[in-house]
Amino acid sequence: MKVSELCKAAGFTLVTDKQDNDREIGGVYACDLLSWVIGRAAQDAVLVTVMTNVNVIAVAVMADLSCVVLCEGVSLDSAALQKANENGVAVLSSDKPVYETCLLINKVMCNK
Amino acid sequence: MKELSLNILDIANNSVKAKASKIEICVTESKKDDFVSVDIADNGCGMDEQMLLRVIDPFVTTRTTRKVGLGIPLLRQQAIDTDGHFDISSKPSKGTKVHADFRLTHLDRPPIGDIASTVVSLIFASPDIRYIYKHKTDSGSFMLDTDQVKEQLGDIPLNEPEVITWLTEYINENLQCIEGGKI
Repeated sequence: MKVSELCKAAGFTLVTDKQDNDREIGGVYACDLLSWVIGRAAQDAVLVTVMTNVNVIAVAVMADLSCVVLCEGVSLDSAALQKANENGVAVLSSDKPVYETCLLINKVMCNK
Repeated sequence: MKELSLNILDIANNSVKAKASKIEICVTESKKDDFVSVDIADNGCGMDEQMLLRVIDPFVTTRTTRKVGLGIPLLRQQAIDTDGHFDISSKPSKGTKVHADFRLTHLDRPPIGDIASTVVSLIFASPDIRYIYKHKTDSGSFMLDTDQVKEQLGDIPLNEPEVITWLTEYINENLQCIEGGKI
């Protein structure tokens, strides 16, 4: 499933510019402790988090993640948004909490 | 990171890579003033202003091989997120100082972790470096200077297993006396 397909099927909002959204999703990883995410999240995974600072994007680049899904309607700070666009990291927004967001992603990926 | 001790380990490892011969680690915890602070100072090769900006920015070097990991940006974020402060200063060929403080009672403040094992593992890995570890609390303070320990040990190397065991116990006993390391 592609990032753009996930966004549409799950009803998420695309926060970043329209770039790299054709990237294939290779799994889901939910965590807010960013030092924990590095080295644990698999390549191409979706990172599900409530963290919104610039380091989230740095971790997405380092761990080569397919996209970031922000939960509970939190928004990226301006520096993070700029870095996400510069580095081609797709960021989606969900109004649901982390657990429900993960369930929803699972549901749409299974229906694919 | 999960524990402040892991941050200390990470930052002190940067000092080791910077070829420091002396590393000072100072932990201050105050319930009275509601803060925990960590200061790490070394006499290593230091950085110019350009390099300093690079280690704070999590991006500049992510595409090439990073000499320094994300440890500094993540520590800075954790300090700010818990109503604390972060500061780093450095002078080429003089050394680097890192300061981070956190609000003790902030729910997102990481626990201190096993500080004795952290300090001892640093000493064990680089016994030639002079480590000065200070720990202060509201009830007192104590200091461990590996140069003084070496003087007492004479010919026995600092990373001898028995010495390492003793050092760990020594730190833990002193922490207990000042009611430190339990936050």
